Amino acid sequence: MKTKKDISESIRKVDSEEKISGRAPYTSDISIDGMLYAKTVRSPIARGTIKNIKLPKMPEGYHTVDASDIPKRNVVKMIYEDWPVFAEKDVNFIGEPIMLVVGPDKETVMNLADAVEIDFEEKDPVFDFKNSGVQLHFDKGDVDAAFERAAKTVEYEYETGYQEQAYIEPQGFVGYPEDGGYTLVGSIQCPYYVKNAVLDTMGEEEDKVRVIQAPVGGAFGGKEEFPSVTACQLAVALKKIQKPIKFIYEREEDMETTTKRHPSKTKMEAALDVDNNIIGIRSNLALDGGAYIGLSGVVLSRGMLAVTNAYTVDNLDVSGDVYITNTVPNGAFRGFGAPQMIFAIEMFIHHIAKDVGEDPFAFRKRHMVKQGDKTSTSGTFRDPIILSDMVDKAVEISDYHNKAKAYEDKDTFKGIGMSWFLHGCGFTGSGESDIIKAQVKLKKDDKDNVHILVAAVDMGQGPKTTFRKLVADLLDVPIEQVTFNYPDTRYVPDSGPTVASRTMMVVGGLLARAAKSLKEEWIAGEEQTITKQYKQPEYIEWDQDTMRGDAYPAYSWGVNVVEVEVSKVTYEVTVKNAWNIYDLGKAIDERIVLGQADGGQAQGIAYGYLEVMNHEQGKLKQKNMTDYIIPTSVDVPKMENHIMDNPYPLGPYGAKGVGELTLVGGAPAVALAIEQAIGRKVKKIPATPESIMELIDNG
Amino acid sequence: MVKHVIPKTYEEALDHLSEGTFKVLAGGTDLMVKNRSWSETPARFKQDILYIHNLEELRYIEDRGDYLAIGALTDYETLLRHEAVPQVLKDCMLEIAGPGIRKVGTLAGNIGNASPAADGVLTLYLLDAKLVIEQKGSAREALIDDVIVGPGKTTLSNEEIIKEIRLPKTRFTKTRFLKVGGRKADAISKVAFAGAVTIEDGVVKDLRMALGAINVTVVRLRDVEKRHIGETISAVQDNIVSIKNAYVPHIKPIDDQRSNRVYRKRVAFNMIEDFITTMHTQD
Repeated sequence: MKTKKDISESIRKVDSEEKISGRAPYTSDISIDGMLYAKTVRSPIARGTIKNIKLPKMPEGYHTVDASDIPKRNVVKMIYEDWPVFAEKDVNFIGEPIMLVVGPDKETVMNLADAVEIDFEEKDPVFDFKNSGVQLHFDKGDVDAAFERAAKTVEYEYETGYQEQAYIEPQGFVGYPEDGGYTLVGSIQCPYYVKNAVLDTMGEEEDKVRVIQAPVGGAFGGKEEFPSVTACQLAVALKKIQKPIKFIYEREEDMETTTKRHPSKTKMEAALDVDNNIIGIRSNLALDGGAYIGLSGVVLSRGMLAVTNAYTVDNLDVSGDVYITNTVPNGAFRGFGAPQMIFAIEMFIHHIAKDVGEDPFAFRKRHMVKQGDKTSTSGTFRDPIILSDMVDKAVEISDYHNKAKAYEDKDTFKGIGMSWFLHGCGFTGSGESDIIKAQVKLKKDDKDNVHILVAAVDMGQGPKTTFRKLVADLLDVPIEQVTFNYPDTRYVPDSGPTVASRTMMVVGGLLARAAKSLKEEWIAGEEQTITKQYKQPEYIEWDQDTMRGDAYPAYSWGVNVVEVEVSKVTYEVTVKNAWNIYDLGKAIDERIVLGQADGGQAQGIAYGYLEVMNHEQGKLKQKNMTDYIIPTSVDVPKMENHIMDNPYPLGPYGAKGVGELTLVGGAPAVALAIEQAIGRKVKKIPATPESIMELIDNG
Repeated sequence: MVKHVIPKTYEEALDHLSEGTFKVLAGGTDLMVKNRSWSETPARFKQDILYIHNLEELRYIEDRGDYLAIGALTDYETLLRHEAVPQVLKDCMLEIAGPGIRKVGTLAGNIGNASPAADGVLTLYLLDAKLVIEQKGSAREALIDDVIVGPGKTTLSNEEIIKEIRLPKTRFTKTRFLKVGGRKADAISKVAFAGAVTIEDGVVKDLRMALGAINVTVVRLRDVEKRHIGETISAVQDNIVSIKNAYVPHIKPIDDQRSNRVYRKRVAFNMIEDFITTMHTQD
């Protein structure tokens, strides 16, 4: 009997060659005879009412498409339904779509779009946090009693800025009429979100809308809910014009008008007993939702749930708000609310320790979560937690303690920072069983080739490879015998969106169950189809109204250590080294996981010190890749990543979530390193050279 | 309609310039970006364009004894590989954009574009670069300081073209190019500094400092530099406060999407001080 290779052993990514060679047909590569082009006419003001629209003389074959052409509902179906397909009367942010100009010649379309004259009655825009559109709250234990018996209290406020996903490929679709309905091919994360939104706007029968994923050039959450907006607009245009239409954003258009990570303000107040143990925390997380709420409420919820991160605190009072402002709507981005809160709590823990005169490392370790502890929402950490071993390993390979001591000498301008953190895998609470209800299919044809039928999208994170590897391994057949094509809603069931670090754990978990069934029932030369439906583990209990219970079925864990040097002349930060340890259950392909580790940390660290985006009166100031600074290979430090096995019983081969975990700890780790280097408390990210100068000056 | 002209020879290019009003496009790394349009549509140029990229006559580096002559179309990558190009200019060019842009971008284009944040221009100020500016029938030579007058503004007339850059040969005991961009590569300067010094037997024989992105043009104060020529190292260093004071009226940065004036100002003075205090040591 041959010994099977460990599933983690890396294989070549199945789509590397088509992507490196340029053969992969991205949305912009698609061309159809007679195809038209669509361009968006947008609001130039942050808030106002449309008084009058004057169109230029439209040549033959050129069209405008606006709210009056929408067959059913002028709202994009998302979690919260307030985002119009086209602005009809009121505009609420600079760049809000008002209409499309569609026609055969791009230059003419552009000139026509520029020639549309719109009169507005301007209103005072709101940019401050005063109009709360979503309020959430939960508590644990008795926080008031904890504060009453507190020996002391410590209070801080933390702030984070925008982050732009900066995917290489901008948003885009090509759509065409087909069989009396509409087919949309696009750069998307969630084929069924798009399909359901279009059905809802168009009032069409289920079989009239078909959505196909094209190869995706990066997404990072930016193609989770936003493509539903452009898809609905395009579907309206298709219905009116009945010709193929290409609808692709330009880079600046994309950066100025699509969703980003929510800027945030977090208030933290801790009650400490006489021995400096944290006995209670009160917290409020405020997110800037932008003009429409969309899925901001869910982002808020994930952020709030991370309030105690990987620490156990018995008494909590946690509230959160999404503030509506006249700015571009914010939305999904790798981490989904957690990066804001994990930055706040990691800094807060350090700041408490410093204020009470304790060594922050010892202080943190004393509060570290253990198996069996209650989560922030009074659920239970059921599975083994190996975080303490991970921290030990991180300390050892980074020489953390010696460096932390040496860098206390302020003249070195060097610092080392450590974050540790968790990330809940899959949808929050009972979302998987109540909302998503994922379904997967494995279809075997009469030649015994096995086809994976799921709606999960490979946006670079690897399921085209790892799903095939997983299924082939369980069926004990060569990987070439298993196919996984780009999802097409005509053929694949709704296995849920490609979000929330759920793809391998949840969708992969269902595929593993399907593969096991197929193997048992395997009849050579016969067509067979196996369908599996998501079932929530029975022990999971969640009350959405009180936000109490098990928020996630499983957690991935991580430790980041980052070392920096700050220039005394320019205040620039050089990130010298990073050491990272991750527990993601089991890697289905080690190299792919390490790729996530490298990229996630580059993005997470950059969120903490490099990536600056802000607006002036609702207009974003950094709107292209020249001004919005993301790290280059020269900026990214030397990284040493380790993956620890800690298999999760319900994940395939024990796999949990990966994608977001690798981002969420980067910002606090680099911020803590900078904090040590300059000897000042960092309470706001990104910690730019400009803000470092201010901190040095003013403390 | 905007006219697009591609001359076959340099002489022909001068003829066109004498007859029409053109924007001269060398590598196109600024003009194509400034006039960008919707993908798959032509750039939105607002005036006639003269494309000189194929004029091989302007692609040369020549050692002419007391100076180095650089043809206007010589790209950064070629300059980076040439042994006679001063190290401080190489240090600077290595931090300009990325390899792709450096393969087509030129110093002459950097001058023509006249951005206050242009790193190449900054270093040419430091090196006392002279420009050979030609039009049909005549040529003139001018110090770079006298050609660039403001953001995007030069003294070049419509008939004129930058033909050549001349770098006087000078040996320094220490040079420095220090740029603060938003990141470590492929970034536009928030503030930048170029410095050079020649010290013999503890006496300062030459001292130069140029600062970029802190005023409408590069700031180089030759009179301030001259004041200290012939002084000992410590005499110059003891005067750091007065040296910095001399720059005060000239360091007038702005707030923009890349940084703010307070930071730019502070870092500019830090850079001056750091160069002066370390001018006798190797970095």
